[in-house]
Amino acid sequence: MKSDLSPRMKVAVYGLMLVLLIPFVFPTWWMVTSSVKPISDIFAFPPEIIPSRFDFSTYRQAFELQPFAQQYWNSAYIAAIVTCGTLLFSAMAGYAFARIDFPFANALFMVLLVGLLIPSEVTIVPLFQIFLGWDMINTHWPLILVPVFGAPSVFATFVMRQFFIALPKELEEAARVDGLGRFKIFWTIALPLAKPALGAVAIFTFLHSWNLYLEPIVFLSSPEKFTLPQALTQFTDAYGGAMWNIQLAAATMTAIPVLIVFVIAQRQFVEGLAHTGLKG
Amino acid sequence: MAPVTFSNVQKSYGVHPVIHGVDIDIADGEFVVLVGPSGCGKSTLLRMLAGLETISDGDIVIDDTVVNDLEPKQRDIAMVFQNYALYPHMTVADNMGFSLHHRGASKTEIKERVDWAAGILGLDTYLERRPGQLSGGQRQRVAMGRAIVRDPKVFLFDEPLSNLDAKLRVVMRGEIKALHQKLKTTTIYVTHDQVEAMTMADKIVVLNGGRIEQIGSPLDLYDNPVNQFVAAFIGSPSMNFIEGHVEGANFVTGDAQLPAPTALPNGKPVVYGVRPEHFRLDPAGGIKAEVVVVEPMGSETQVTMQIAGQNVFGIFRERVSARPGEVLTLGVDQAHTHLFDAGSGLRLSAA
Ligand SMILES: Nc1ncnc2c1ncn2[C@@H]1O[C@H](COP(=O)(O)OP(=O)(O)OP(=O)(O)O)[C@@H](O)[C@H]1O
Ligand SMILES: [Mg+2]
Repeated sequence: MKSDLSPRMKVAVYGLMLVLLIPFVFPTWWMVTSSVKPISDIFAFPPEIIPSRFDFSTYRQAFELQPFAQQYWNSAYIAAIVTCGTLLFSAMAGYAFARIDFPFANALFMVLLVGLLIPSEVTIVPLFQIFLGWDMINTHWPLILVPVFGAPSVFATFVMRQFFIALPKELEEAARVDGLGRFKIFWTIALPLAKPALGAVAIFTFLHSWNLYLEPIVFLSSPEKFTLPQALTQFTDAYGGAMWNIQLAAATMTAIPVLIVFVIAQRQFVEGLAHTGLKG
Repeated sequence: MAPVTFSNVQKSYGVHPVIHGVDIDIADGEFVVLVGPSGCGKSTLLRMLAGLETISDGDIVIDDTVVNDLEPKQRDIAMVFQNYALYPHMTVADNMGFSLHHRGASKTEIKERVDWAAGILGLDTYLERRPGQLSGGQRQRVAMGRAIVRDPKVFLFDEPLSNLDAKLRVVMRGEIKALHQKLKTTTIYVTHDQVEAMTMADKIVVLNGGRIEQIGSPLDLYDNPVNQFVAAFIGSPSMNFIEGHVEGANFVTGDAQLPAPTALPNGKPVVYGVRPEHFRLDPAGGIKAEVVVVEPMGSETQVTMQIAGQNVFGIFRERVSARPGEVLTLGVDQAHTHLFDAGSGLRLSAA
């Protein structure tokens, strides 16, 4: 990084950034270190920034107290399906809204956007009744269907539409002259160039599904169906007291896939941005 | 390779007509340039021919087939876009082979054609690069390569050189012309640069406001423009226009008299047109011109002058050492002068 700051200014700027970093890093640090402390050390005063005694058995216990592996799998496959489904639908719908001239396209798009204004707390009860009617309570279907056809997908469609509008039309016209039909143009030209937008959509859709809390506790009732956020609340002893160190060990494991997805999608994101540069 | 015909082609966007009935006949293998000021409808005509824009009325015929309702891919044309429109996520080779690939050509056939095109265009060493890693001129060549690999019936170019610098433009102009001489494919080339039109075309179509002003060979348009618009548009520096009226065999403006090419009724208000190089220094010529600026170019001398208070521009083979304010005596070659109707701008011939 180039800068024309004097060395003294540089020290000051980096110092300030370090201070600002603390509120962002500290909770994560606290979560990871506390997960390996004996429970009595977690609330020791003064607080221990570096643990003095280590107890890694918390990670094993997380799997013993709950069907944690199963819950992990539940969260993972639901998030994966939701992400893929949302990518597919939002890319196609976004492309249609951006490029295909059909009657009432703009009005329809507005109606769609209104869906973003309704909080999920408002729709959860009617949704429960619908899924009850479909016999889907205590299954994972609601957790897949609601985001893929609900607000997160609408937002993703919006993002994709804006991206496709900005994509140079000449590219698609060149493809038409080269002999491609609409769907092939979408698939071989528009979609590969939309990697940055798809990366962004993938990140926030995955995160949304992974962190979903209200819907699982409404729709699911048996522990082996639970998803991770819901499972995290269940690490309690016989008297209902929180088992902090085990809970934090589970929380640490919950956070790891998020980091992985972010790193992967971010690379796509940056690579895609580098490629779309059409300009000479 | 194929002939192309536009007959009474019209285009409106909503209620706004932008092309008002255009007729053009293009012979097999001809290089036709559509030229005209910005917004006159050149791109629109080309895009209608390519199938990227619908045709509001009239017919476009390629090789005896009316193509009005055909998809671009059924028309067998290839187009080079102004900003090249190369697929940024594909290599040069894939860009060029893309259309063949989608027409079901075999891998070996694609490779053969791409290598052939790359050879012609000097792109052999760039085949594995992405468009983003090429210079403007190289991208331009890739865009042309993408067009020629397929051996289409017609090539369409929409201002393909306007993103290049002046020097490269001259080079690429030569290359496109040479390519056409080699392949002999019917070519329609859009530009707003009359120099490109003059140097490249077999036939120029001058458009203005969605109408054809004139069609002809470059020199035909240069020597015999049908109206003031074409006279002004073709040729650089452009033709001089002097306002005045007819008196006998002369054109009169203020106290100056110039020989008129045609006899017309006395007193008719007209515009006199003469190209800069058709003035000559001639003590017997009888045209008095006051020097404003002298620009010696070495090979020629360009002089801005005033005849009866109206600015005119002259180019002389000899060196002129007159100073501003001095008066030169000029003659003109009557055969190279034109009279235009002061109202309609149409060229007037003998009444
Ligand atoms: N999609 C459109 N909707 C409405 N009017 C349009 C549309 N496309 C072009 N026009 C109009 O049609 C006319 C001709 O446009 P066209 O692009 O063919 O001009 P051009 O001769 O290619 O100009 P340039 O040299 O600037 O490229 C212009 O007046 C333009 O405003
Ligand atoms: Mg144009």
